[in-house]
Amino acid sequence: MLKIKGLKASINGKAILKGLNLEVKPGEVHAIMGPNGSGKSTLASVLAGKEEYEVTGGSVTFRGKDLLDLSPEARAGEGLFMAFQYPVEIPGVSNINFIKTAVNEVREYNKMPPLETKEFMKLLKDKQALVELDGKLANRSLNEGFSGGEKKRNEIFQMAMLNPVLGILDETDSGLDIDALRIVANGVNQLKNKNNAFVVITHYQRLLDYIVPDFVHVLYDGKIVKTGDKKLALELEKKGYDWITKELV
Amino acid sequence: MSFTLTDKERFLINFEGQDFSKEGKNFIKVRELALEYLKESDFPTTKDELWKYTSVNSLLKEGFKPQTSINNPHIDAHKIAGLDAYQMVFINGFFAPLFSDVQEDELGDFFLMNINEAKVKRGQFMEQYFGVLAKAKFGAFNALNAAYSQDGVYLHVQPGKKVDKPIHLLFLNEGTNVAVQPRNLIVIGKNASAELLISFDTIDTDNALTNVISEYVVMDGGQLTVNKLQYENDSTYHVSTDSVYQHKNSVFHINTFPLSGKMIRNNLHIQLDGQNAEAKLFGLNYVNGKEHFDNHTFVEHIKPNCLSTELYKSVVNDNGVSVFNGKIKVHVDAQKTLAYQSNKNIITHDDAKAYSKPELEIYADDVKCSHGSTTGQFDEEAVFYLRARGIKESSARKLLLNAFAGEVLDKVENGVVREFIEKKIERKLN
Repeated sequence: MLKIKGLKASINGKAILKGLNLEVKPGEVHAIMGPNGSGKSTLASVLAGKEEYEVTGGSVTFRGKDLLDLSPEARAGEGLFMAFQYPVEIPGVSNINFIKTAVNEVREYNKMPPLETKEFMKLLKDKQALVELDGKLANRSLNEGFSGGEKKRNEIFQMAMLNPVLGILDETDSGLDIDALRIVANGVNQLKNKNNAFVVITHYQRLLDYIVPDFVHVLYDGKIVKTGDKKLALELEKKGYDWITKELV
Repeated sequence: MSFTLTDKERFLINFEGQDFSKEGKNFIKVRELALEYLKESDFPTTKDELWKYTSVNSLLKEGFKPQTSINNPHIDAHKIAGLDAYQMVFINGFFAPLFSDVQEDELGDFFLMNINEAKVKRGQFMEQYFGVLAKAKFGAFNALNAAYSQDGVYLHVQPGKKVDKPIHLLFLNEGTNVAVQPRNLIVIGKNASAELLISFDTIDTDNALTNVISEYVVMDGGQLTVNKLQYENDSTYHVSTDSVYQHKNSVFHINTFPLSGKMIRNNLHIQLDGQNAEAKLFGLNYVNGKEHFDNHTFVEHIKPNCLSTELYKSVVNDNGVSVFNGKIKVHVDAQKTLAYQSNKNIITHDDAKAYSKPELEIYADDVKCSHGSTTGQFDEEAVFYLRARGIKESSARKLLLNAFAGEVLDKVENGVVREFIEKKIERKLN
């Protein structure tokens, strides 16, 4: 469903991605690991459609469409979901009003009628339970004053509500304690099925104890330099990234 | 020999010949003094610091003329649907008893009548307050109103009494080139309370000037909430002065919403002259097209232990202009003053302008005062976040605008009034 070919991207004239290849098929979980500065965040930003990043080469195809040609909202409409590393706080927009708008706009994009209030409320309750999100947060302003763990759980909650085809988790584990990590992972595992896929971008191996990847890729200097199975993640955890860079030389 | 009139002389000539001779001598004296002042003084220009960003040049070139009488038009469309309130209606500055709920019973909880009636029936009580706060010498617009105001509202809530419903003062304009000058006096007795909705609307006008003065006195422990809504049509100039005097333990809360008009200038002056008094001032400018909305506030902390909280926001679109000038003065005796002021502006267009000028003047040493002013564009990070969840860019911006405005709208406790304002803003959004 996602095909990235020779992707090159830069920010402020500085090349970050230097020819990245990746293919994701339905039912798969991919982990992308790499040291700081390797291009993990840039990859996430380019896929989400951040305008600051300039794509200088290569292509990204998502479900047969040129992803790079789509607006951020159209990408979401097509079924791409980015769980952000730093979810934005938006004072004055309530969580519930926000997610209702999002759900119905994605439905509209797919030519489906808006959800009836009753259906929406049921969906809301189910998905809140999935990530153990306190119902009181629904009426609070979006992410405002949320703890780090609440923000990340809120991202997974939104993902559950929008039920994407491809979920990308951008360092969702950063700043999470072990309980929150387990809740987040459990949410993802329950959403997983043979028709959707997940890309987990992470610096550390520990999230992968809970979300077990089919493939582990090492991103280094803007390219994927090594691909393996879950054992590769354990090896990276033990030995760090140095041995790979040495191997490359 | 020929001579030409100045703009000011030509402007003032239209106001002459109104007959106020039936008023009591002291009230006539107030008018005469104002007239003297008006002759000696000039209307402000942009060279005056307080009018730097708001020019009245074009206003003075228009030939506004006060009407001498009114007919009784249909006003139903101008009522606020679902609002359960005592209502006082004025058309072109004249009292419309047919649409109004007068309370003039000595034994009642409060007096509510037109001020011309009050000058006769409550003259002695009124004289101690009338024209004391909003003095004619404070400026030409004040003097113009003091000299030529047609009528207005008199409200006096008796000590310890609470007005059981909001009071809606509805000012409507009708006709061509009309000059409308309401004058209100509100006295909230000791430990008494009331909620006022003051709204300015247009029936049908081409060119109008509203120049209104309201004086408010809130006695010990009294509480007054005012929601002020300005939504006259786009050929209306509006100059408004609200002068507030607070005694100890009193609370005055005003929410100001300039919603439409060619030019709106609000002068709000609050004196906290009793310990533990509290003033709350909130405002939201929503500016479209070529509208020009200007809020000037002046809060004086005169006695110790008072609190003032002030938040004004504006959203400026198109070629609109928003002005905020907020001055806080803490007098030498006003120790333990808490004064907070904030002004936030969002500009959505290259040609839109927001001027913001906070001023602090502090003469006491043990006080906590803060002020902040921000002017910027949309938080693009937030826009992106919403879009990444599938929300169209236009919807995302609308959500964020509503959120920005919501902080001020939340201060309007009356749900019917809030909804009314939201609808007005919604209409401007589309």
